[in-house]
Amino acid sequence: MARKSKNMIKYIIKRIIMMLPMLFLVLTVTWVLSHMMRSSPVTNAPGLMSAEQIAAELARIRAQDPWYVQLLIYYRNFFSGDWGKAFVGEQEGKPVLQIIREIFPKTIELMIIPMVVVPIIAVKLGVTSATNKDKAKDTTIRFMAIIGAGFPVFWIATLLQLFFGYYLGNFTMGQFDLQVMFANSPGIGLPGPTNDLLTGFRIIDGFLYNDQLHLYDTLKHLFIPTICMVFVSLAGVTRQTRSSMLEVLDQDYIRTARAKGVLEKNIINKHALRNALLPTSNLIIGGTAAALLGSLFVELSFNYTGFGYWMVTSIFLGDYLVINGLLVFATIIILTGTLVADVAYTIIDPRITYT
Amino acid sequence: MTEQTLNIEVDQVNSESPKKKKLIRFLKFYLIPGWRDDEFSNQEYEIEKIKSKRRLFRRLLTPLTIVGFFMLFFIAILAVYAPWMTHYKLQEVTLPYYPPGGNPFSPPSAKHPLGTTKYGYDILARMIWGSRTTIVMAFIPVTIAIGGGLILGTISAYFGGPVDYAIMRFVDLMYSFPMLILVIILVPILGQDLLTTLVIYGILYIPYNIRFMRSLVLQVKQLIFVRAAKTGGALKFRVMFKHIVPNSISPMIINFFGGAAGTILGMAGLAFIGLGDPNVANWGIDINWARASFSTFLAALWPGLFIGIASIGFMLIGDGLRDALDPRLFI
Repeated sequence: MARKSKNMIKYIIKRIIMMLPMLFLVLTVTWVLSHMMRSSPVTNAPGLMSAEQIAAELARIRAQDPWYVQLLIYYRNFFSGDWGKAFVGEQEGKPVLQIIREIFPKTIELMIIPMVVVPIIAVKLGVTSATNKDKAKDTTIRFMAIIGAGFPVFWIATLLQLFFGYYLGNFTMGQFDLQVMFANSPGIGLPGPTNDLLTGFRIIDGFLYNDQLHLYDTLKHLFIPTICMVFVSLAGVTRQTRSSMLEVLDQDYIRTARAKGVLEKNIINKHALRNALLPTSNLIIGGTAAALLGSLFVELSFNYTGFGYWMVTSIFLGDYLVINGLLVFATIIILTGTLVADVAYTIIDPRITYT
Repeated sequence: MTEQTLNIEVDQVNSESPKKKKLIRFLKFYLIPGWRDDEFSNQEYEIEKIKSKRRLFRRLLTPLTIVGFFMLFFIAILAVYAPWMTHYKLQEVTLPYYPPGGNPFSPPSAKHPLGTTKYGYDILARMIWGSRTTIVMAFIPVTIAIGGGLILGTISAYFGGPVDYAIMRFVDLMYSFPMLILVIILVPILGQDLLTTLVIYGILYIPYNIRFMRSLVLQVKQLIFVRAAKTGGALKFRVMFKHIVPNSISPMIINFFGGAAGTILGMAGLAFIGLGDPNVANWGIDINWARASFSTFLAALWPGLFIGIASIGFMLIGDGLRDALDPRLFI
């Protein structure tokens, strides 16, 4: 046992060391991309930035030097935290790192409930579907899962907005920064401390400032996007669980267990599910990293100013440093996610040896 | 029956015409274990072949697969017979043309059965012409992605060593980017017309297929017939694409359908954001035009429904094929 844990620490350290060259490769690719963008000062975009801004930016990235010097400067800027500033739009003049710090908590707030709830429900549904193959239950679950996977996310989001926001009218459309709900009620000002946020998480801030109105407003705004996210992301995990469960249920050791008289409940929960969850767990852990980046389409449909929203908005505004910064940040999260997934996979599956 | 009589009868069977002793041969064929008669074995082989084909067909015919088949059939009919189904030409419902006196977002009427969308285009005509775009959108990127993945994955798994290492590091690099965001960044840089977008999308999704194909080939590579082919002196190219690929390709074929569904959704999403080609009839653009307010909701309902039909059709057929083709599952 002790030897095993020692091996694992070795494996983790090895993986982290292997991640570093990958990080440099990714940075190189983003550097090339940032030079290709039309809004970049190198390609001389007309009208987006003033002449002084272009001159200052060119001096910052040292555009007159040879390319390898520029690349090294880019690396240095990345590690020293100088990711540049936004040029246009409402974020103008803000450092990119501060923008990320402001928008990332919002995305986490949107994603935390789907991230926790979805694997639990989806595994249950997948197992039910696989054990009742080709029966009414299976057909129903597959049909629901396929509706979630097959229809476009933004279309489902629009339907939900219409149903909850327009016909029921009790919920807002999900717009976050417009205080629509309280605008017409006299005596109530803007909810919550708008300027001085402690953590950036609106729910936690609501508790910290003991501001129930702010909390209520936040929860009400989060309701429809969360339902939409849960419904949409259920589909993938359910289908994966179903197919791997079907594969496992056909193995010889399941037949052996049935022959020796194990209860069907125990066969499914102990013999089959443990093995069927291995590919699914990979999907769940890997998917969590992607989920942290938020769903682009959900955020766009609900005007939820999180990660995906600003990604698309800055592309349309032509703010190349913001695009670049968000992309680098996304890749860092995904790299970390794969690292965690690999390590977790060796813990979950004891048959895998660390090499 | 002793061994002697058996031998005598074998001689008789071989010497005389086969018709006379058919009953005895028939009995022998079924009663003596290990007895092989050429004619009967051939017949049995043919029958088993037909049986297994029928079994595959029967396994395919689950209710959901049939529904999926009809969904795709519907889209294909729309695409093929588009000029006969609507009296609007394609040029009359796409962007450079503005219909004179067009009434944008009007409710359904006799002239426009599903109403009109932005600039007064007929929704039904756009739906029908859009099915052609959708079929192109489904097939080109997936063909690029799966073809590239097939070739590179096979090469990577077969040669191993430094080739494998280089290709897999490239795949790792591509894996560490969020793909859809990369597409959204690349499309404004490289051009917004339909074909460019499709090629970008296809190329960016190659790495997923490389990894998948590599794992399949690594399993098949160990089998005996590959060693036999190598011992027989077959060229590397021949071993790879004549012996290994046909035996590992069926999961990739299933992947094709899933990939097509994903591509339809992804391209619709791209058009929804506003990065699609505005000069083709594209369902995603319709949603983007109509989602702004709730009075125009009907114009957004239909395109979403059609996108759903197309992608769900592909998904259901892919699922059905996987259940039917997977040799490990027996019903």
